[in-house]
Amino acid sequence: MANEILEEKINEEYKYGFVTDIEADNAPKGLNEDIIRFISKKKNEPDWMLEYRLKAFRYWLTLEEPHWAHVSYIKPNFQDIIYYSAPKPKKVLNSLDEVDPELLKTFEKLGISIEEQKRLSGVESRIAVDIIMDSVSVKTTFKEVLSEKGIIFCSFGEAVQEHPELVKKYMSTVVPYTDNFYAALNSAVFTDGSFCYIPKGVRCPMELSTYFRINSAGTGQFERTLIIADEDSYVSYLEGCTAPMRDENQLHAAVVELIAHKNAEIKYSTVQNWYPGDKNGKGGIFNFVTKRGVCLEDNSKISWTQVETGSAVTWKYPSVILKGDNSVGEFYSVAVTNNYQQADTGTKMMHLGKNTRSTIISKGISAGFSNNSYRGLVRIAKGATNARNFSQCDSLLMGDKCGAHTFPYIEIKDKTAVVEHEATTSKIGEDQLFYCKQRGIDNEKAIGLIVNGYCKEVLNKLPMEFAVEAQKLLAVSLEGSVG
Amino acid sequence: METITQKNTLKDKVISEFESSKNSLFGNTLLREQAMESFYKQGIPSRKHEEYKYLNIDLILKGDFSLALNKTLDRKQIAHLEILNDAYVITIENGVFIEELSKLQDLPKGLIICSLAKASKDHSSVFEKQYAQSADVNADAFIALNTAMAKDGVFVHVQRNTLIEKPIYIIHVSSAIQNSIINPRNLIVVESNAQVKIIESYETVDSTAKVFNNALTEIVVEESAVVDHYKIQDENNFGYLLNTTQIIQKGKSVFTTHTFTLSGSLVRNNLNIVLDDEGIESNLNGLYLTNENQVVDNHTLVDHRKPKCNSNELYKGIIDGKSTATFNGKIFVRKDAQKTNAFQSNKNILLSDDGTINTKPQLEIYADDVKCSHGTSTGKLDEEKVFYLRARGLSETSAKKLLMHAFASEVVDTIKIDALRDYVEEKISKRFE
Repeated sequence: MANEILEEKINEEYKYGFVTDIEADNAPKGLNEDIIRFISKKKNEPDWMLEYRLKAFRYWLTLEEPHWAHVSYIKPNFQDIIYYSAPKPKKVLNSLDEVDPELLKTFEKLGISIEEQKRLSGVESRIAVDIIMDSVSVKTTFKEVLSEKGIIFCSFGEAVQEHPELVKKYMSTVVPYTDNFYAALNSAVFTDGSFCYIPKGVRCPMELSTYFRINSAGTGQFERTLIIADEDSYVSYLEGCTAPMRDENQLHAAVVELIAHKNAEIKYSTVQNWYPGDKNGKGGIFNFVTKRGVCLEDNSKISWTQVETGSAVTWKYPSVILKGDNSVGEFYSVAVTNNYQQADTGTKMMHLGKNTRSTIISKGISAGFSNNSYRGLVRIAKGATNARNFSQCDSLLMGDKCGAHTFPYIEIKDKTAVVEHEATTSKIGEDQLFYCKQRGIDNEKAIGLIVNGYCKEVLNKLPMEFAVEAQKLLAVSLEGSVG
Repeated sequence: METITQKNTLKDKVISEFESSKNSLFGNTLLREQAMESFYKQGIPSRKHEEYKYLNIDLILKGDFSLALNKTLDRKQIAHLEILNDAYVITIENGVFIEELSKLQDLPKGLIICSLAKASKDHSSVFEKQYAQSADVNADAFIALNTAMAKDGVFVHVQRNTLIEKPIYIIHVSSAIQNSIINPRNLIVVESNAQVKIIESYETVDSTAKVFNNALTEIVVEESAVVDHYKIQDENNFGYLLNTTQIIQKGKSVFTTHTFTLSGSLVRNNLNIVLDDEGIESNLNGLYLTNENQVVDNHTLVDHRKPKCNSNELYKGIIDGKSTATFNGKIFVRKDAQKTNAFQSNKNILLSDDGTINTKPQLEIYADDVKCSHGTSTGKLDEEKVFYLRARGLSETSAKKLLMHAFASEVVDTIKIDALRDYVEEKISKRFE
């Protein structure tokens, strides 16, 4: 029974694997200073930005690729990647009517109907969307509505042009280009991304969202997201990712920086569904992402929620630096791996301020031949009095050919700290299945029910719009992985 | 740059010492040469090495260390170390088995105890079958160093169906007048259906110089054997101890180990257990009380290779002063090891402002029908418990002392030898004063 269902699951196709036929404006393959100058020129960037890119690039040349994560893959050839690919024709878009209809079809397939969003404006649950295809932001919706409140939500490239003072002030303060190999690479070649600034005392009236899609072959996607929440503000931000099916591995190396000022709160949710490769582990996205937020001042809060179902290899640790007193960091994660997928994901909570609190809930599900690791660091610095952390990492194994691993690092230098960590590994209980089946629920549905229950703590943290999508995604990813 | 040259000098010193002495050392020279090659390749691990992340061992070894060491103690000087009257006492001084300081009269039938160098000749069949079989020189630089340089140690052989009533008590004493590195090596083979209790203690006597003790004990536990193993680490401030214990267990055997780290300026324990057959039970208990500038680093690896085995791990620590305590435990469940139950728990109390606790409990699991969990907690003494006791008339200090005793007793109570338990309890009481 288990085998049959597994087989069925294995044969299932990635449903977002279409290619959109949009003409693209590509840079030549390869990476050198000229390419960086080319990107910078294409984006019409000021000199300081080019300087920054070149500094990052020169530093990157001195680095070696990290290999400590519990993943194995063929090292990407950095000279064989296209670092800039923009969908053509590129012109300034004022309304949706001007967007390439091909592109709109793409988004419809993805299940994001911008048209509908537009029509629904005025309704409570609307979302402002920034869409990044390959390397370039193609459309940001609801910009006007947001600007009334003073909220800046635009592509990163636009922000560099229109709000250089903000970009200059905050960019690279949380993730410096010296942070790691992929952060340095991103700092050198990033092409676009989202920028968001919430002014003092403003509660963002709608969910802000970015959809990332890799489309062109042989391209790497390097986007940067920068979110700043000024004093007493609140924002909820969503991020979704898909890519077409291709035989070769494609590289995605993003940098996300969050900055929360006094009493501010940022909620960042991700549903990551990059192409995971086929059932033999061929192709798929390498997802090497640096995400970090800083609770800069007192009483601020940053919350990461992620549902990770895609990518061939994931290497991602959304972190929070708890600098302000009484600040709060949260990390809720569901990571699902199937076939030959590999995920090494987790978080870092750096407690520096007094009375800082952090919560980590991580749920890993491995099936097929996949490997799923949680790797997390909780560090309580000296002087971070009354810091509190609770971590829980559970793993669910489906089948005897996959692996589930937990690598927590806990470093404590303050005697008033209270830190707890728990982890369990198990499979779906026969008794739970039996209980469901006895009540007339078939195997498939019973597993869905149990897995959903298992992930509930995390799914509950997602905004409404995403929770539905995430639940569906989870069901599709795991359909009949256990008998 | 300086560190690199320093490291090279130590490495080179080891090599030249090895070349001049390798033919006079016991056992297979080829094996030693392979081990030396592996050591040279691995080098002394720095903090960049994942397994030595929290230990500046390369800095400690930066000073001038010699490899040759000769100093003999007399019986009087070590009399106080004998905490058990009724035991077979083995004394290993600076890595060499000293018969005159040991008490091995009237060994029962089925028990062989002699120096390892002697065993390599007199008991060559067992020696060759078991020696350096489970300790892999490529797994760790210090295993390689020990395998290459070991001068001597003790060989304990408990033959099948033998029940040894009295504990076997191995005292490792370091005494040095100059900074030195010693490599004691022990091999303990417990054949099927045999039962034995083994205590290993690490002490320093009359030392005025730094001794880096790179000790390695291999224990083979065969079918249905029961082994109760204790380690008491109580060296002085000159003592640096890197203690590797490599255990291989066969079907239905039970192995229980207890590690008590009471003092010593640096203690690193590498405890590796391989569960190589079905129906095995392994228990790992540990207690570390650190103070001043002490560094204690406990690494455990429980390798579940076969189905239907159980392992339980409990490590507790009380950290005071400027000391650093590290716990790094890994449970490894291989593909075929279905029906594994593996549990791990690490609890710490941090008493001082300058102490540090690093803990890294890890699970690496490749089988699905398993129950594995780990938990760790770190905190101060519970204020409410202190209040409860104070409300009943106890002073703050005695309330805290009582709570620390209670915290430690969960591990101390697992000691099955009464005299040893009393000794450890007394030591702990002294520490809390």
